[in-house]
Amino acid sequence: MLVAAFAIVGCGGESREDARERTIVFKHFRLFGDPAPFAALLREFEARHPGIRVRAETLPAASDEQHQFYVINLRGGARDFDVLALDVIWVAEFARAGWIADVTALLSADDRAELFTASLEAVTYDGRQYAVPWFVDAGLLYYRRDLLERHGFAPPRTWPELATAARTIAAREPDMHGFVWQGRQYEGLVCNVLEVMWSAGGDVLDGDRVVLDSPENHRALEFVQSLVPQGVSPALVTTATEEPSRHIFGSGRAVFLRNWPYAWTLFERPDSPVSGKVGVAPLPHFEGHESAAALGGWNLAINARSRDPDAAAAFVRFMASPSAQRTLALAYGYNPARRQLYSDPELLSAQPHLEALRDALDAARSRPVTPRYAQLSQVLQSTFSAVVTGLESPEDALAAAQREAERIMAEP
Amino acid sequence: MSRLLQRIGERPAAFLAPAAIVLAVVTFFPIVYVLWLSLTHYSLIGDAPTFAGIENFARLFADRRFWNALGNTLYFTVVSVALEVAVGLGFALLLARPFVGRAPMRAVVLLPWAIPTVVAARMWEWMYNGDFGVINYLLGTETNWLGDPVWAMHAAIVMDVWKETPFVALLLLAGRLSIAPELYQAARLDGAGAWRSFRHITWPLLKPLLLIVLIFRTIGAFRVFDAIYVLTGGGPANTTETLSIYAYKVLFQALEFGYGSAIAVAVFFCVAIITAVYVQLLKEAQR
Repeated sequence: MLVAAFAIVGCGGESREDARERTIVFKHFRLFGDPAPFAALLREFEARHPGIRVRAETLPAASDEQHQFYVINLRGGARDFDVLALDVIWVAEFARAGWIADVTALLSADDRAELFTASLEAVTYDGRQYAVPWFVDAGLLYYRRDLLERHGFAPPRTWPELATAARTIAAREPDMHGFVWQGRQYEGLVCNVLEVMWSAGGDVLDGDRVVLDSPENHRALEFVQSLVPQGVSPALVTTATEEPSRHIFGSGRAVFLRNWPYAWTLFERPDSPVSGKVGVAPLPHFEGHESAAALGGWNLAINARSRDPDAAAAFVRFMASPSAQRTLALAYGYNPARRQLYSDPELLSAQPHLEALRDALDAARSRPVTPRYAQLSQVLQSTFSAVVTGLESPEDALAAAQREAERIMAEP
Repeated sequence: MSRLLQRIGERPAAFLAPAAIVLAVVTFFPIVYVLWLSLTHYSLIGDAPTFAGIENFARLFADRRFWNALGNTLYFTVVSVALEVAVGLGFALLLARPFVGRAPMRAVVLLPWAIPTVVAARMWEWMYNGDFGVINYLLGTETNWLGDPVWAMHAAIVMDVWKETPFVALLLLAGRLSIAPELYQAARLDGAGAWRSFRHITWPLLKPLLLIVLIFRTIGAFRVFDAIYVLTGGGPANTTETLSIYAYKVLFQALEFGYGSAIAVAVFFCVAIITAVYVQLLKEAQR
């Protein structure tokens, strides 16, 4: 009797809740392309969850500005958005600050098994998950199949192989650069150099301990520093970011390019000068070590002060579901965070490079997952920049970076 | 009217209050707050600020990156302001002379100054591009201007000179035109040449204005942020990182509000010293 009474009261409460319009706000980066599929996805969610409405709001394009927007608003206790798209390198920071809710319960054992290891690691802070992986990215090696064939080289497996092939072909072909990558002092440089360090067996942190000043990292930086003087890479890499380097390779003036997966579709367009001539592979490594790619991508988190965490959770679950990720991958070319989609026939026929990407993503590593990452990255950016421009020797640069990073990690 | 003035004379406080309150809210409070923050350990992602005494300043003093940024800022300021004043003065004297097409020329000279800094910086970034930039094309070189530790700062200086010289030229032109033509006529009658007229008429009469221009430009150049941030982001290897860029990165990227405020306070004191020196010079010039 009593139980029944409670049940009735409970039901009454819930139906009142339903009658009221519940709106959740989703803050996200701009999706490039036709807005219709994304809008249709939001309507589908609303149809499945009567009573909940979703308002999607776009953030400024620059990553720095998005970070700043979130920090200012979340620090100020803003409750006017519920679900937010976060770069992989922000999750630990926001979790430490208490701005985003623990979403461990949203990830079932099956979900976890489905996700790429690095992707799950990037959203984990203190053993709990604070965001759900949405899209992923990883550094890839693009190469000119036709040029390698003409000069008798196989796609390089190791860094020295890449260096030899790049140097030789660049010298033999007119107006041709060897290996183009991103060497400007910015976050992209950190990704580029970490990939070389990891593939030499090095790392930045081991737990909370700083392990920058190691023989492995030393070897990796020696290699990176030698690229320009030895004619493997053109001097312009020290100012290159993603787009300029993609333009050089895409106009047929480089043998190798390190870039993110987005470049693939652009190279394969019918009007592209390199269409049909581009191969893609995991990045090279040093002998005796494994290839590693820096993980990029976006995750869905819930504002810890959201007025409607249940609706927000339902929305995150929906957006991160296989079917939503598939829709968005087909419409916008974003790479799903779930492994099963990489063997989806429809997706594979539309985007055949996903096959190679899966290998790269399996080997992907997350940049150091720590709330102090922004500080750490500034040290790494200037250190790596000093090395690639030849301003400092790898020994001095690593020793100084080790001290700086130790100071940062020792802060309370 | 006179009755109103009389009443103001009797009760000045009430009439001064609105301005004083606005000033306190928008200027005084932020300054004091930043001073307070600079004495705390405070990270936006951490707990509430805790008092740190002068620890942040001790750290600042031992911080290689801070001294590097200060050195970069001083170098940028001295070189770019010197060039801007020299070139701007030349433009002003030329534009003061009558010639065909002077009016459109005065407008054209102003153009770089009218372009928003970020847009101009983006434009220069393309021109400096080592691969297809127009500057390498014109000079027949293959220099990677923004990626070279020596060239990057000078590339930024050239852009700043291009951008800010019109401002200097405009003010000095106004100053030059306010000098009575009779003085030059009299000098010519006395047999003075162009150099003597400049040395004994233009220069002394322009000097107070020149100092004001210098104050504006020096402080502007000392706080330079957007132009360099867009061009190089402070790289390569922090060789173009100025104090403002350093403060921005510590405050808004790393979210270290305590230490970042200490850097901001250091900038504040540097600007205060620069201003004090100029005000002193100005007093002497007007005497």
